[in-house]
Amino acid sequence: MDTIIECDNITHYYGKRLIYQNLNFEVKKGKILGLLGKNGTGKTTIINILNGYLKPRSGVCRLFGEDMEHISPATKARVGLLLEGHIQHTYFNVEQIEHFYSQFFPNWKRDAYYELLKKLQVTRTQKLSTMSCGQRSQVALGLLFAQDPELLILDDFSMGLDPGYRRLFVEFLKEYATAEGKTVFLTSHIIQDMEMLIDDCIILDYGRILLHLPTKEIMENFRRFRFSAEANEISSQSDLWNTQKIGSEWETYSFLPTAEVEQRLAAFGANKLTEERISLEDAFIGLTGKY
Amino acid sequence: MYKALFYKEWTKTKRITSLLAFVFLASLIYTFINTGQLFRVSGAVEVWSAVLLKDMPLLPNWIDKLPLLAGLLLGFSQFVPEMTDKRLKLTLHLPLPETRIVATMLVYGLLVLFSLLFFSSLILVVYLSSYYPQEIIAMMLWSAAPWFLAGLTGYLFAAWICIEPVWKQRVFNALIGVTAMLLFFFSARSGAYVFFLPWLVLLVFISFGFPFYSASRFKDGAQ
Repeated sequence: MDTIIECDNITHYYGKRLIYQNLNFEVKKGKILGLLGKNGTGKTTIINILNGYLKPRSGVCRLFGEDMEHISPATKARVGLLLEGHIQHTYFNVEQIEHFYSQFFPNWKRDAYYELLKKLQVTRTQKLSTMSCGQRSQVALGLLFAQDPELLILDDFSMGLDPGYRRLFVEFLKEYATAEGKTVFLTSHIIQDMEMLIDDCIILDYGRILLHLPTKEIMENFRRFRFSAEANEISSQSDLWNTQKIGSEWETYSFLPTAEVEQRLAAFGANKLTEERISLEDAFIGLTGKY
Repeated sequence: MYKALFYKEWTKTKRITSLLAFVFLASLIYTFINTGQLFRVSGAVEVWSAVLLKDMPLLPNWIDKLPLLAGLLLGFSQFVPEMTDKRLKLTLHLPLPETRIVATMLVYGLLVLFSLLFFSSLILVVYLSSYYPQEIIAMMLWSAAPWFLAGLTGYLFAAWICIEPVWKQRVFNALIGVTAMLLFFFSARSGAYVFFLPWLVLLVFISFGFPFYSASRFKDGAQ
């Protein structure tokens, strides 16, 4: 399978603050990969590095095999980029922006753009600056569909969108990406819509990758366990994530089967252990903690 | 593709360009009325001798700053929207070499500015030809040349200041810009600048390179 995105040993600091140390990952062709993380973990930073808008302290990223600092125009044409906040040239109106971008891409699909915009209550002469964030998100998505790139890079696409627009965005994107075999690399800090969208999931913690697994594997195997315990403190255990006391009950998260979790906690007098299937958002909380 | 970039720049700047065209036209009309009035009241002999012997300017005093004002306004109207929300990232992501994208944007601005100055000068020369001899008009054009160059340089400095991603550096760029602009407005007798003009032209060419430096800093994510 072709590798579309490669990041090798990326280390970056803002001033003295470490953002990542030796970050490594790759995205294969046809995959939808979500980069999830709390605010400030460097999601936008990696998008900037990938597109050559930020020079990391060390390491290299490649798009379609090209070094991030020397991405050729031909490769740029294969990448659709959505900036955080659905930033666009808001001095254009709906028609003008389509006309502008259409000049750069030989396989421009004008109909795909206007098909998507039919759902919006906007006129063709309406300026983007007068649109709501949700409407602008659809214009940005419509432009990406019309460009028909092989790789979509979406930075925090859910930012500022109400649940309706978020769902609309996700549904269109999922249909487009799966039908056309596109590769998608996206970041978000709203996890709830990702379950139905992403194939693979990278969860970022401060300075490192906490987890890189297929979403299905996380959903099937990662569980929350609630239990009572005689001990007042439970020391950190490998493979048990964020074990903490909430009120009179304890909770922990793990990929381990129930029997093994029970065995690990026996030393602390754990009893009444119950296992719960959880959403991706809960899994994210379980892995990264609430704070 | 370059046509599309021009289209984008035009969309951003059409209002300010129209406003500048109106201001230039109004300034020309003012100059025509003023010149006509001067000749009616004082007579051709007195006006000519004042121009030749007392170095009386043919144009209103404030008109020397007009090209600079036009350059600054055009530069800011073109590049402030580009830096708002860092939209320049979208522009640089277009499938063209980045230096060519920046160069096209700058060439657009310089062409608009040059057109405004060229056609204003042409109209002025045609009109004033009915009042003054060719030699006096040529002298006026030589005197106005530094102001025109100030407009072009001012535009390039405005672009440089806008594209620079770091505020501290922006202030530094602005200070360099102000200092450079002073070179174009030394108080001197008309024609005194003639021997200095090649250096001012050189300054225009040098200023063309500055925005590329800041665009490259923007690309590297300087903060």
